[in-house]
Amino acid sequence: MIERLPLPAQFDRLIMVGGTAAVLVMAPILVVLLALLIGDEISAAELVFWLAFTVIVAGALGTVLLSNIVHAALALIATLLGVAAIYLLLATEFIALVQILVYGGGVVILIIFGLMLTNAQADPVVTDGSQKPFAAIVGVLLGGIFIAAAIDAEWGAEAATVVPFRDFGARLFKDFIVPVIIVGVLLDIALSGGIVNARAPRDDDASETEEGAAS
Amino acid sequence: MIPLENFLILSAILFATGLYGVLARRSAILILMSVELMLAAVSINFIAFASYLDGDAFSGLIFALFVITVAAAEVGLALGIVLRLFRERQTAYVDSADSMKW
Amino acid sequence: MEQVWILPAIPFATFLVLGLFNRFIPRRGDGLAVLGMAAVVVLVGVVLADFQNFFVDGIFTPGGEHAYAEEWVDIGQGFFLIEFSTYVDSVTMVMLPVVSFVALMVLVYSIGYMKGEQRYGWYFAALSLFVSAMLLLVISGNLLQLYLAWEGVGLASYLLIGFYWERQAAAEAAKKAFITTRIGDVGLLIGIILLWRVTGSFDIQEIIHAAQEGVFDQTYLTVAMIFLFAGAAGKSAQFPFHVWLPDAMEGPTPVSALIHAATMVVAGVYLVARMLPVYDEVLIARDVVLYTGLLTALMAATMGLVATDIKRVLAFSTVSQLGFMFVALGVGALTAAMFHLFTHAFFKSLLFLGSGSVIHATDEQEVQELGGLRKKMPVTTITFTIGSLALAGLPFLAGFWSKDEILHDLQKHGPMWAYVVLAATAALTAIYTTRVVLLTFFGKPKNQQAYDRAHESPPIMTVPLMILAALAIVAGFVTYTGVGEALGFVGGIGEVVYLPAEGAHRFELDWAFAAGASATAVAGVVIGVAYWWGDAKRAAAARNWAPELHQLFARRYYIDELYQAVINNVVMGASRVVAWFDKKVVNETGVDGATQFIGFLGYRLKFLQTGRIPNYALGMALGVAALAVVAIGTT
Repeated sequence: MIERLPLPAQFDRLIMVGGTAAVLVMAPILVVLLALLIGDEISAAELVFWLAFTVIVAGALGTVLLSNIVHAALALIATLLGVAAIYLLLATEFIALVQILVYGGGVVILIIFGLMLTNAQADPVVTDGSQKPFAAIVGVLLGGIFIAAAIDAEWGAEAATVVPFRDFGARLFKDFIVPVIIVGVLLDIALSGGIVNARAPRDDDASETEEGAAS
Repeated sequence: MIPLENFLILSAILFATGLYGVLARRSAILILMSVELMLAAVSINFIAFASYLDGDAFSGLIFALFVITVAAAEVGLALGIVLRLFRERQTAYVDSADSMKW
Repeated sequence: MEQVWILPAIPFATFLVLGLFNRFIPRRGDGLAVLGMAAVVVLVGVVLADFQNFFVDGIFTPGGEHAYAEEWVDIGQGFFLIEFSTYVDSVTMVMLPVVSFVALMVLVYSIGYMKGEQRYGWYFAALSLFVSAMLLLVISGNLLQLYLAWEGVGLASYLLIGFYWERQAAAEAAKKAFITTRIGDVGLLIGIILLWRVTGSFDIQEIIHAAQEGVFDQTYLTVAMIFLFAGAAGKSAQFPFHVWLPDAMEGPTPVSALIHAATMVVAGVYLVARMLPVYDEVLIARDVVLYTGLLTALMAATMGLVATDIKRVLAFSTVSQLGFMFVALGVGALTAAMFHLFTHAFFKSLLFLGSGSVIHATDEQEVQELGGLRKKMPVTTITFTIGSLALAGLPFLAGFWSKDEILHDLQKHGPMWAYVVLAATAALTAIYTTRVVLLTFFGKPKNQQAYDRAHESPPIMTVPLMILAALAIVAGFVTYTGVGEALGFVGGIGEVVYLPAEGAHRFELDWAFAAGASATAVAGVVIGVAYWWGDAKRAAAARNWAPELHQLFARRYYIDELYQAVINNVVMGASRVVAWFDKKVVNETGVDGATQFIGFLGYRLKFLQTGRIPNYALGMALGVAALAVVAIGTT
């Protein structure tokens, strides 16, 4: 069912090369960071933060720029794992674990299944008016606004507080029990919906769609 | 320690990148992946705020949990739709679903 | 007296019944119409008897019952009041017998004249409508009601002139009559509104009182009264509105007798007579009346001199005599004008009916084709001659008294040259009537088939002729006090019909003046005989001597051509401009342009609907970005 994945496009090769170059660049960064750490310029937490930051941003850029889909999926995994690291920094280990399990182990796998099932090929080179410039403008605009807002505001926050796990669980299942149940139902629905949508087409399905197309 | 703005800036950058991906990508699954990025960014935001500002009643954490859950469900459903699209048009490119045009 | 509104109601009922059901009534309802008319005549007598009670010591003192008003629409507590009101005074009492009696004569005559016509029933219905409207007009107490009746009379005239509407000429004539009078009517309406604006009322007596008290500004009132006179001139065919009356002869002859000789055309005279106290306040307007009447009288007399259709001659004669009446009104002589109206109604309708008799018998209207009919149609000849001598003003016939009165009053109150002109016109009147009589009834027949066809008319037609001829002889004597008293009035007509400002006056015969007037009339007859007796050699010589003059008269001073040219160039030109504006600016640019613009917009904007989700997503993102910018900007 799945054909041979195409060879990476030219652009992709560039990215791969670039990525390699990035790694090569990153090595010195890592070294710098370590040096800074050892030299007591930055703390360990900050080192981890900057590392995670680099990974996340690189992964995100890869997801949206790489033309080979599987490579993009892999970049996504990298991003999500970086996000998990961030969660650890924020002393929410549970969420970090959930992140890795659900996203890394579930969502991305699901996406790759989808890729295979839909015979995904490289993102085509668009010739009829690509949206890319406008998308870039909008993205930069919005991101800029958020960053500006974040920097301007006075947060007055000092440090991250650690959340005891027991309290978290108690809170979740005492005060937020209704949303939990609802989310459970939601998952049920999503499951059923997914099955209905994704099941293999049968004969009456084809006639259904033909009727649908005719009417 | 790490100032809060760092996290917020990180989340902003992630969100912007995800937005670019949603708007610029052609394949449905790639768009889906970009949406995941945006959701992740939002989660970071929530958790950072909960952690820094709301230490006792950490509603942000719980919200982030739900976000993750719903995101997973949504991905499942969305892929189902993508599969349907694929069956109709034999391609997963979003541009192909353009019959409701002028 | 309060129920005087019954008088117009009876003919109106007749109109409705005949108009709708004439097919189902035996003889198409002509008997019904005559019966109704006779009832009206009788009722007029009743009103007359009642009217006598208002004379106390020889002075007309109106009591309460002679005026009757009933409110209909009241907007703004009397700001705009439409009411149905009647007002009966001596002027009305002159008009009522005239209208009803002549109408009765004409109706009886029509039974014979219109025998065998299709639409016979409709003819009587329309005539009844006309009489109803005319009666309503003369009893109206307020100007709005008068205007309503005015239009009603115009409508009936249109229907009746265009009775033979299969003939193009008749349809055109009806249209011309209606449109010309309509133009005058606009003036009338403007005058009414101007008067209302100052006094706040349409009631005639109120307006008269207001004018006499000096409520109006002098110029304003002058203008208003001139507009009012424009309406009167339109209806009474005075210059420059006289063009419709000669053409109105396309209608059946009895119609011409009733409407265009005796009743409708005198509506204008009636209006001015009614408003004469107001005209006395603004002498400029009164002078306008005087000179218009004078001019018209002279012009029409000259045109009648050369006309060749009997009815046309009579039409011009009517216009001329109406001019006489307006001249009388123009010097403020109400008595003379109403008296002339009274006598003129009888002898002019007599003349028309007589000509109708001739036409009915010979199927010819042109004087060139007639001649020598007196042997074959004696009754018609005699009555017609009596009528024309009365018209000429021969002593002791009806016309003599009234015309004399007018000339007398003009000489007393008006400029000398006007008197000379009017006297000359009177002479011309005598000349042209003699001409018509001679050419039609005397001499040798010019068209032998017409002559062979001629026969005396049946009694139903000749009896009205004889009655009217009798009246044409004696009607003038009502000016004498003794005659008036014998009839039950307080005195002669001068003591019954008069302006309050003038006061009643007994009639005194000024022998010198009368002799002079008679001499003019007799001279006119003699000239007429001299020129047209026999072969009319002298007349032919006169025609050849001044052919352009003859042509000018015959072509009616080219006024018709002038009007047509004005309409073609001015009216049509203006309408072309307006039509261009409407087509180009309003329609093409405004209406079509707006739609095309929207269509164009749609055509361009539809490309936004690409159907592709990324495009829509971009739109949404742009919107969100814009919102974020706005939010940032405002905080």
